[in-house]
Amino acid sequence: MRDYVRLEVRRTLRDPGFVIFSAGMPVLMYLLFTNLGAADDGAAAWKTTAMVGMAAYGALGAAVSVGTGIAEDRSLGWLRLLRITPMRPRQVVLGRAVTSSVTVLPAILTVLAAGALANGVRLDAWQWAVLVLLLWVGTLPFTLFGIGNGYRHSAQTAGVLNVATLMGLAVIGGLWFPIEAFPGWLRAVAEYTPAHGFAELGWATTDGHAPGLTTVAVLIGWLAVFGSYAVTSYRKSARTP
Amino acid sequence: MSVEGAVKSFGAVRAVAGVDLDIARGETVALLGRNGAGKSTTINLLLGLDEPDSGRVRLFGDTPERAVRSGRVGAMLQDGGPIRRATVGELVSFVASTYPRPLPVAEALRLAGLTELAARRVDKLSGGQWQRVRFAVALAGNPELIVLDEPTAALDVEARRAFWASMRAYARRGNTVLFSTHYMEEADGNADRIVVIDHGRIVADGSGERVKSTVGGHLVAFDLAGRGTEGLGTLPGVVSVEVRGDRARLRTDNSDATVMALVGLGRLKGLEVAHATLEDAFLALTQERPAEERVTKPKETV
Repeated sequence: MRDYVRLEVRRTLRDPGFVIFSAGMPVLMYLLFTNLGAADDGAAAWKTTAMVGMAAYGALGAAVSVGTGIAEDRSLGWLRLLRITPMRPRQVVLGRAVTSSVTVLPAILTVLAAGALANGVRLDAWQWAVLVLLLWVGTLPFTLFGIGNGYRHSAQTAGVLNVATLMGLAVIGGLWFPIEAFPGWLRAVAEYTPAHGFAELGWATTDGHAPGLTTVAVLIGWLAVFGSYAVTSYRKSARTP
Repeated sequence: MSVEGAVKSFGAVRAVAGVDLDIARGETVALLGRNGAGKSTTINLLLGLDEPDSGRVRLFGDTPERAVRSGRVGAMLQDGGPIRRATVGELVSFVASTYPRPLPVAEALRLAGLTELAARRVDKLSGGQWQRVRFAVALAGNPELIVLDEPTAALDVEARRAFWASMRAYARRGNTVLFSTHYMEEADGNADRIVVIDHGRIVADGSGERVKSTVGGHLVAFDLAGRGTEGLGTLPGVVSVEVRGDRARLRTDNSDATVMALVGLGRLKGLEVAHATLEDAFLALTQERPAEERVTKPKETV
C-alpha cells in the first residue's frame, strides 16, 4: 500500500489545478485579506485569525478534492484495474485516505509560512506544532466527505459538489470572514457547521487554550456523518462497478 | 481454470447464457466471438469482477477473488483509459509491487516494447502505446494466468506482430493465456485452442482444424444456371446451403461424397472445391439462427 500512496501522492501534486486551488489561492487570499485596507489596532490579531482560517480553507479544499480524483479514476477504469491486482478494495480506500492526509499538508504549511514570514505572526513553538497537527487531523471528516462524493457521483458532479460545498462551508464556518460579523441567528448556526469546528481547533490553539468540548463534539458528530456517507457510497459503487 | 454453467444477465439481456469451459495449465486459448457475443462478460466473471447469477467459476481451484488476491492472475481489460499524471514506469512499478513475485519492471517494459517510453506520462501516449502499457500492467506481476480482453484492438500491423511474439514468449514459460478477439486469423495463429462464443453460449471448442470441421471443412460452389436449390441441403456431406448471385455454396464435411452426388445430378457448371477458411467457419457458427439448430459440441476438456 505504501507504493499505492506514493503513486497517488505524486499524481495529485502534479495536478496544477490542485496546487493552485489548495495552496496557491489560500495564500493569495490570505495576503490580500490581511494587507489591504488601513492597518488598525486589530490588524495583528486579524492576521493570526485569518491565517488559521485560510490554512483551514486550503486544507479543506485539498481534503475534499480526493473525491474528484476518485470519481475520475472510476470513470477511467482505474479502480477496476486495481480490483484485479492483489490489492484489497479496503486497502485502496484506505490508501486514498492516507494520500489525502499527505496532500493537505502543503496547503496548511504554505499559509502558516506566509503568516510567519510575510505577516509577522508570532506564536510559541508548541502552538505552531499543535496548530499543524490539529489542522492536519481535523481534515479527516472532509476527506471522508470527498471520498463519499467520489464513489457516488461522476467526476464532473463530484467536482462541482466539492467546490460548492467547500465554498459554502468556508463562508458559513467563518474561514474567510469572522462569524462575529454575522447576524445573531446565522452565527448560532455557523457554530455547528463542520468547517467552523475545524478552524476553531486552530483558533483555540493560537489563543493558547484547548478547544472547547462543544467544538470537539461537533467535529466528532460530523466525522460520524461523513464516515457513514463514505462507507455507504463505497458499498453502493461496489455493487454497480 | 473452470467455468460451470455460468449465467449472467444484465436486465433482460442474457450476456452469458450457460457457459462451460475448462482450461488446463499452460494452454493458450482464444475466446472468439462478435461484438456483444459475451466474451467480455465471460472474462469479467472469470476475474471476479462480476458475480454469475448462477453457475460456478474456479481459478486454480479457488474463487476468482482469492486467486486474484494471491497474485496468480494478471489481466488486460478492454475498457479503461490512461490514468492521469503518472508515468509508464511508475504505473508498471506500482502494479508489480502489489504482486508477491513480480517480473523485474525492466523486463515487463521490454516485453511490451515500452523501454523507450518508461519516463513518458501515460495520459500523453497514443492509443496503441497505451494498449502496450496495459499489456505491461497485465504481465508486471508475473502471473500464472493472464487474461487479455481484445488485446490488439488499437494496434497497427507491426505492433500487433510484436505483441503476439511477446505473448507467445510469455506462454512458453508455462503460463496460461486466455485472450479474446474477433479476428479469426489471430485466434488461429496464436492459440492452441479456439472457443467460439455466440449469444452467450459456446458454439465450438477445439483446435482451429476442429472448429473448421465442425461447420464443414470444405466449400463446394457451382453455378445454379437458373435451376433452384431444392434438394441440395440433403445431399451427402452437406452441412449448409447458401446462394450468392447465381452460385450455390455448399458447406460440406465430406467434399468427395458431395461432389459425387452433384455429378449424379449433372450440376457441374463452374464447380469449385475449396477449404473452408476459419473466417467461413466463424461466420457459419455465429449466424443468426434458433438455438436448437446451432452447431453444438459436447464439452471438451483439454
